[in-house]
Amino acid sequence: MNDDRFDEMMREAGREYHRPPETPREEMWAAIETERRRRRTTPRVIVMRPAWRWGIGMAAVLLIGIAIGRVLGPRAPAPPVDSVVAQTSDGVAYRLAAAQYLGRTEALLAGFRSDARTGVLDPQFVAQARDLLSSTRLLLDSPAGNDPQLKPLLEDLELVLAQIALLPAGRDKRDVELIIQGIDQKSVLSRLRTAIPAGPAALPRAQGAI
Amino acid sequence: MDEHELIARARAGDPAAERALYDAHVDRVYRLAYRLAGEDELARDFTQETFIRAFQRLDTFRGESRLSTWLHAIATSVALNGLRKTKRFRTRETALEAADAVTVGQRTAEPDLKSRLRAAIDALPLKYRTVVVMHDVEGYTHEEIAATLNVEVGTSKAQLSRARAKLREALADFAGEWVT
Repeated sequence: MNDDRFDEMMREAGREYHRPPETPREEMWAAIETERRRRRTTPRVIVMRPAWRWGIGMAAVLLIGIAIGRVLGPRAPAPPVDSVVAQTSDGVAYRLAAAQYLGRTEALLAGFRSDARTGVLDPQFVAQARDLLSSTRLLLDSPAGNDPQLKPLLEDLELVLAQIALLPAGRDKRDVELIIQGIDQKSVLSRLRTAIPAGPAALPRAQGAI
Repeated sequence: MDEHELIARARAGDPAAERALYDAHVDRVYRLAYRLAGEDELARDFTQETFIRAFQRLDTFRGESRLSTWLHAIATSVALNGLRKTKRFRTRETALEAADAVTVGQRTAEPDLKSRLRAAIDALPLKYRTVVVMHDVEGYTHEEIAATLNVEVGTSKAQLSRARAKLREALADFAGEWVT
């Protein structure tokens, strides 16, 4: 095939490809002004399905309970269990808490990685990373920290989340690239996705507008 | 008033400067959004969101690139994320194999090479389609595409080359039209 002819065809067809109409600049400007006013007066919220709110609430209560238990409770030796998610009611609770946490972390890291490509990072990532960092440390101190599969992942997540949480306000592109490299080199996202239980009941993943 | 001054004023909250920046760039942003989205409603959404984010984050613009490059980076991010989120692009993103299948034996029924080429571009994977639209349709240079998509220049060239190879493959039965 002749490349020049093909390129010429591309240019000709390109002029017609999704040919834009005249820019509706006044209508769009009005919409922009309205939306900016609305965002200034309305606090940003994470929109979640009602079932997820319950799930996250339960997970939060559980994590607080774990923290209180560790501070106030007796230091009995941990029972030998193969997995954090033992066949007990506690196991179910840990599974839920871990699933919630992993889902939120996966959403955060995927969003962070995606936005990092554009060089425009939402400051909310930093706030969310701080929040999740606390949960990571609580989970590492909980029986979840004894899970041989989950523990290394939690430790890697702790490092990544700490790096994001400590990003300076005038963040340097190099800082962000190093974090992304760390995520990629340790396959954090794929390990996260593997660790997240399948099925909507097992994992009410965080969904929201950042 | 030059663009640096406009940016400084817009950062200080001058609405007239914001409007001037919008007027200077909105056409190209909307054109790109429309070419990628293929429909007015989505293109408006993407354009509006681009400027809302840009004004919100103007403080983070350090002037290392041109404002247009920075704006187009936001625009492509908004558009590509939007297209993925809404999944509307999937209706257009029919498998290329399917497009190939359509090409065989239907030449008499669909002789318009240009419309076939448009359909084949629609059928490209989103990352290839983006580079084709930016380079071949909107006339961006590879350097501009690389800066906008935050990839290497070589990546942009390679993606365009792969995209064109897929297009040639999809339009193989028209080969005679450009071989001669």
